[in-house]
Formats: sequence, C-alpha cells, structure tokens
Amino acid sequence: MIDHEKWIGTLPIIKNKDSDHNKFSTNPDKWTDTIPTIPKQKTKNGIKKFSLTLVLFVIGLILVSTIKNKTRNLQKEIYDLKASISDLGADLHKATLDYEVITSPENISQLAEKYLETELVYYKKSQIKKLNEKTENPTLLDITKDSKPKSKIKLKVAQKIEETKIELQKLKELYKQPEKIPDEIKISLAKKIEEKKIKLKKLYQNPKQSIDIKKIQQWGAFQLVKVFLGVPVIPGR
Amino acid sequence: MKNKIKKNFKQKSFFFEDYNEFEITFNKKDIYLIKVSSNRIIFLFTIFLSLMFIFSIKIIYLSLYPEKNLSFIKINKNPILERRDIIDRNGVILARNIHIYSAGVRPNLVKDKEKFLLKLRLILPELDSNKIRNKLNKDKFFYIQKRLSPEKKDKLWLLGYQAIVFEAKPFRIYPQKNLFSHILGQTDDSNVGISGVEKFFDKDLKNKKFLKSSLNLTLDSNLQYLIREELINAQINFGNVGSAAILMNVENGEILSLVSLPDYDLNKRASINKDIYTNKITLGVYELGSVFKTFTLAAGLENKIINPNTLFKNLEHDLTCDKYKISEHDKLPKNLSAQQILIRSSNIGAVKIAQRVGVENYKKFLNSLGLFKKINFELAEIGTPLSFKWGKCKLATASFGHGITTTPLQMARAYAILGNGGYKIEPFILKKKERTMEKGQQVISTKTSNQINSILRQVVSLDEGTANFANIKGYEVGGKTGTSLKYNSNDKLNTFVSLFPASRPKYVLLVMLDEPKAAPNYVYEFPPSEKFPNGYKYTGEYRNTSGWNTVVVAGKIIEKIGPILAINNLQASNNF
Repeated sequence: MIDHEKWIGTLPIIKNKDSDHNKFSTNPDKWTDTIPTIPKQKTKNGIKKFSLTLVLFVIGLILVSTIKNKTRNLQKEIYDLKASISDLGADLHKATLDYEVITSPENISQLAEKYLETELVYYKKSQIKKLNEKTENPTLLDITKDSKPKSKIKLKVAQKIEETKIELQKLKELYKQPEKIPDEIKISLAKKIEEKKIKLKKLYQNPKQSIDIKKIQQWGAFQLVKVFLGVPVIPGR
Repeated sequence: MKNKIKKNFKQKSFFFEDYNEFEITFNKKDIYLIKVSSNRIIFLFTIFLSLMFIFSIKIIYLSLYPEKNLSFIKINKNPILERRDIIDRNGVILARNIHIYSAGVRPNLVKDKEKFLLKLRLILPELDSNKIRNKLNKDKFFYIQKRLSPEKKDKLWLLGYQAIVFEAKPFRIYPQKNLFSHILGQTDDSNVGISGVEKFFDKDLKNKKFLKSSLNLTLDSNLQYLIREELINAQINFGNVGSAAILMNVENGEILSLVSLPDYDLNKRASINKDIYTNKITLGVYELGSVFKTFTLAAGLENKIINPNTLFKNLEHDLTCDKYKISEHDKLPKNLSAQQILIRSSNIGAVKIAQRVGVENYKKFLNSLGLFKKINFELAEIGTPLSFKWGKCKLATASFGHGITTTPLQMARAYAILGNGGYKIEPFILKKKERTMEKGQQVISTKTSNQINSILRQVVSLDEGTANFANIKGYEVGGKTGTSLKYNSNDKLNTFVSLFPASRPKYVLLVMLDEPKAAPNYVYEFPPSEKFPNGYKYTGEYRNTSGWNTVVVAGKIIEKIGPILAINNLQASNNF
C-alpha cells in the first residue's frame, strides 16, 4: 500500500505556487482563441476563386467557340462566293475563247461568203446623194418616192423593179444547186431567170414604155373579158 | 469534415495531452482530399488554358493564311491558270489554256461488264468493243478516251458508274488555228513549250507572278489573215509549193505579220517533220537573187564611188568568171546609169558596180546590214546564213545575189535599215512597254537611204521597172524583185521586197514564192501608167520570174492591208 503522506513530503518545494496544471485548468477560455480557424477560411476562398475562374474560363470558351463558329460561317460564305466567282471566271474564260473562234477573220470571211450578197445592187450617183441626205437605209422605192414625185409612173416603175428583183432573187435561190434540180425544171428556171433579167433591163432602159405597154395590155384584156361577159365595153359612156 | 470541427469546439473538458491541431481541424485524409481536388482543378485549368491557347493560335494562323490551310479553297482554285494567254496587238487571243477531261476505268469496280460496255458504246460509238472488253477483263486501270468534249464527259458522268474516273488536264487551245502556226509553236503534254513563241518564252509563260496577265505580241490577226489569204490564192494561181511573207515596221523592227506556207492547225497536234513545214522567214536560209542588187548600189553610193546617174557604158550581155557564166535575164540597153541598173535589174551592171566598190567595202557594207550573222530574234527557230570565202568571182555573183545566202527576216531588216534613214533595228514580236523606241546606230547615211528609196520607187512606177504590178495607187510602193534558182534544180525561188510609202517608208513587206510556175491563163492587170492611163489586161504569159508572180501577190497584199495600216497609223494615213 502506498503511504500518501510519505510521498507528499517528497515533492520539491515550488516557489511559484501556481502549477501549470492549475493555471490552465482555471482558465480554459484562454485556449479557446488559440483554435486555428484560418485554414478553414483559406480553403473556402480557394474553392471560390477556382470556381470563379472556372466559370469565367467556361464562358470564355463558349464565347471563343461561338465567335469562331460565326467567323467560320462567314469565311465559308466568303469562300462559297469566291468559288462561284471562280466558276463564273472559268465560264467567262471559255466564253471569250468561243468568241475569239467565232470572230476569227477566217470564220467571219466564211460566214460572209455564205450569207452576204455578192451581187451588189446598182444605184446611180444621183440616187446615192439623196440617200445620204435623207434616209439611212432606203430602198430604190423610197429613193424614187423621195425624189420629186412628178408622176405616179416613177413610183410604179420603182415598184415594178423591186418586184422583179425579188422574183429574180427567188429564182436564183432555186437555181443555187443546179445539179440537184431535174433537167426540165432546170431549163425552165434558167429561161425564167433570163426573162426576168431582160425585163429588169428593159425597166431600167425604158421604164415609161414598159409601164404603158403593160397598161394597154391590161386594159385590152379587161375589155375582152367584158365583151365575153356581155358587159358594155366603155361603161357609162 | 465541417461537423467534425464543430464538434470539437463544443467539447467541455479539454486536456493538453488531447490537443493536436491536425486532429482537431483536419485529419490526414481530409488534407489529402483537399490537395487532390485542388490539383485536379489546376490540372483541368491548365488543359483548358492550353486548349484555348492552341485554338487561338490556330484561329490567328488560319485568318492570316486561309488559302494555304483550307482544303476546299484548293478545290475551287482555278487550275487552268498554268500558262499565260498569248494575245496579238489588238488583244485577240492567240493561245489559251483550258481544261480537258480524260476518262479512265477501274475494271474491279464494274459489276456487270457487258452492260457497262453497252452503255459505253452508246456514248462513245467509235470505241473498239473488243479492245475494251479485253481491258476490262484484265482488271487494270485504263483510259477509255482522252480529250473528251464537255458533252461526252457529262454523258459519261451521268452514267453514275464509280468505275469511271475523270482526269482533268490543261490543254492549250489556239483559236486562230493555222494562222500563227509558225510563230506560236506548240506545247507538249507536260505544259512545256516545244517550238516557236511557246518555247522561246516558256519561262515567261509559266511565271506564276504574271499568270493573270497575257503575253502581248506585236502581230495583227487581221493583217496576218489577209496576207495568208493572198499567199493561198498565189498557190492557186501560180502553183508554188510554198510561200512566205513578213511585214515589219521599218522604224523600230516591230513585226506585224509573219506567214509561212504550208502551215498546220496547232490544235491537231500532228507531228510536223517535213522540211516543207519549215518557218521560211526565220529558219530558211536562201539565195535570194536580185534583191541583193539594192545593196550593191547602196554600197557604191555610200562609199561615194558612184552616184545614181553614173553611166556604165558598153555593158556586155555575158561575162565569165572562172567557170561561172554571168548573163542578163533579158535584152537590156548597152549603156545604163547606176539607177537604171537597179530599175532594169541588170546582172552585168551590178557586177560592174561591185567591182568598183571592191571586196572589202562590199563585205563591210553587207556586214553593217547584219546579213551574215545569226540574227537575235524572239523565236526558237532561227537560221544561220552559210559562210563562204570572198574572192573576185564571189564578189561578182554576190553583187546580184547568187552564191550568198541569208534568211528572209535578215533581208527584210536590211531593207528596213535602207529605208528608215540608215538606222540599225532589231526585229521583235514581243510587245513591251519598256522597249526603247530610240533610233539605233546609224550605219548608212540619210542621203544614201533617200536615194535608194527614190530608185526603189522607180522600179515599181516606171514602165521599164520590173515590179509594175505592185504600183498600187495611193501607197507609193517601192521595191526590188529577186529571182533565183534553187540548188541543183531548175525551180525558182522568187522574192519581192517592198517599202511603202516610198517618200518616207513606214513598212517593209517581203513576199517569197517557192517554185512558182508560169501562169498563161492568169489575167494580169497592169496598173495605170503614162502609156496606158487606164491600165490594161494581159494574159498568156509564160515567164515565171518574180515580176510575174511575187510582185502581183505583193501588190494585192498592199491593196488589202493598206487601209488597215492607214487606219491604225495616223502617221501613215497622213502620208497617203
């Protein structure tokens, strides 16, 4: 068994009567403030900062991707336009080449040979003067109409000449490829062409006479028909 | 963790030995978790940041160099622009690249080969079915047709076969076909120029910096066409086997037209190997005959040995020098003045003038005109005059253009120098803004030039002259005829070099006919003269010297091109 009193006296005498134990046990509040709270606050702030940065970062990412998409779309549009320009350029490239082929001197002269009239229409010098003064593209008929309308005969002559020329032209067109026309038709066509030429020549040489003869012939034929039908020859007279 | 900490604060009894800061606030596991989570956030942040950085760099790079990096732009890029256009002086396209498609077949992708063959034949009936069938069975890629027309390409494409593969290749098109065949030349399948301008300017034509601009030539399509037409007509009228002509501006050497017949269609890509297709103007080297007499007379005048009126008396009809017999082509008066010698084209007279001039002076004079050295010209095909030893007989024959060779291009240049006041020029066909138009070195005096121009005019205008058919009203044509025999043959090579307007020459026209025949059925129309003010018609001529064919052709050419030259050149129109 332990003798308490024996042991008490063995303790060394302490000058400062307040032992550490008493000291701390009597005032526990003194320790309350010593509890570390700072690390707790530090963790909270770090998370906040991180989350804020993360949010900003995500927003930034979204913005960047949105802007990028928009610019990409715009760029695509630009490239599409460029592509269509390029296509149009290629078309133009080919078209100009076609134009060069079509308008080459060789092609033009071939076309001229094919479609332009080689037999030119004869005009008197006096007619050309009037042509220059009054109209740009008049026919012989117009020229005669414009030049002093002394009588109807001139007009008729001009009409006749124009008609004969057209007929002659038509006949010539028919006669263009004689090897393809049967012999009989060929001969008759040649004859008709000759006749028309002679007629045209006569019209130029003595226009008045040709008209008068024609008129008399017409009048005579008309009277004959009248006699045949029993109509008075000179009605009303 | 929070609850744990709170719990610790409510604790009533507290002992020193119980106190452990870490135990109260965070245990080791908590700290570890905190550390891990913060590291993760940092890690993610770093990844996102680096991604953003990479994206930003990429965006900046793409915006700076879009064409290099975006594949769809490459598809849209026009691949036709691999060789520049060639255009004439009026902007008419002479050569242009286009795309032509070739169609090939991958037989392993064809399921029903007979059906495929049938469909192919409907579109391409010219194909050999057996050959195609054999190729289809071999399972190797092969071409069914190269250079497809756009219509056929579309039809094949519409078949919808995966097996048909289309390959686009650049192809050079020459819209003027034959018109410039000797000048333009051709390119091979790999876009390399193999002849003519295409070869000479190959690097320029492929220069990527200038692909969008054209290569401008000094040639004129209309003039070229008119001259070519007259040369073709000459072939019909005089039965010559070939012909050539060159039209040059005497003041600067600008070539307006260069024709050589026979020619060929550049688009047909046939291999042209025969000599007859040679470019006669630049590559052909010929004895050009009496056109040299002009130089003989000019040498005499320039060296002040003679003047135009110097009389040569008792001229023989024949001369013999070693084994060579020199005789007149026609009966000529015994006494002729220097200018009469040229007007009547007297061989003996020319020999006499040359003898007075002497070998050295004559040689020097011809050298100053650049007749013997290879000419610098912008074409790949250039001929070199044949070299020879000078002697007394060589001087005699050279005086009237025999035993001496040169190219028609050099001949035209020599006449241009004589006509322009004696200034040296270099012919060219490339139109350049920076080309200096300053006059070259004067090699002949203006006085000699004027005298020669006047005498050349008389060759054409006087009845006794040899070139009356070229006396076209309003154009003051002057010129000299030349008839020579081809080597070891009786066939002739006739030349006529003309300068117009003679009072102040602006253009030189050289016309050459190879082996022209006499044309007894051809109706010659003599222009008005003193004897015949209204001119007259003549037929039944059996001579085939230059005066009876080349001059006629040159006259017709001048008559046709004259108005164009006058319209395009006010200076010329003022002179007419």
